[in-house]
Amino acid sequence: MATKPKVYALSTCPYCKRTRRFLDEHKIAYDVVEVDLLDDAEQDKVLEEVEKLTNRRSFPVVIIGPTIIVGHDEEKLKKALKL
Amino acid sequence: MTVHEVTRVYCPVCQAKFRFSEGWKAGDIVVCPVCGQKLRLEMQGNEWVGARPEKGQEKEIRERVDEYARIKGYVFNDMKEELLEGLLGKNRRFGDFYCPCRMEHVPEFMCPCRPTRSGDVERDGKCYCGLFWKKK
Repeated sequence: MATKPKVYALSTCPYCKRTRRFLDEHKIAYDVVEVDLLDDAEQDKVLEEVEKLTNRRSFPVVIIGPTIIVGHDEEKLKKALKL
Repeated sequence: MTVHEVTRVYCPVCQAKFRFSEGWKAGDIVVCPVCGQKLRLEMQGNEWVGARPEKGQEKEIRERVDEYARIKGYVFNDMKEELLEGLLGKNRRFGDFYCPCRMEHVPEFMCPCRPTRSGDVERDGKCYCGLFWKKK
């Protein structure tokens, strides 16, 4: 895979945790940003990125190559990761 | 025209003012009929307000969500414990029981959040984070 998947998550959101658990269980290396734990300036920047990508502020967001998955969706994750 | 003044109690969780029932007195424990929060009645100035006897404790949020579900006839699913864990995390990190799936830590998103109290569950079958579900 060209680039590692990227996960935007909230530290308190159980769906974000399930998505991360799913990736861990399938031994997928990924980068994660816990948006709610960033400092204010960084958070604004990241939220802007997320809104540009998804048109909303909903988590988790998973970027896998050209695919953007909003919400915990194992079927979409499997498809995008060719599992 | 006669004006009937209704005595009300302010709830610090949902910020609603609900009707004061006859016979209540300072120190009584009552439940906010809007959000399910358990409150201890106090007179502040010339207004009744509800204090949160177990503010920030796990017991408080568990009782609140159970009571709110009971009042509204909503049910939970198997995400309940994970969502409660998220609510406890919000309280630890951000000072109160805000919706675990939202970024904003403002009073309107204290659980049960204002969109939930405004009918999201009736409309969508569930609240934003999926804690409260309409009975099928």
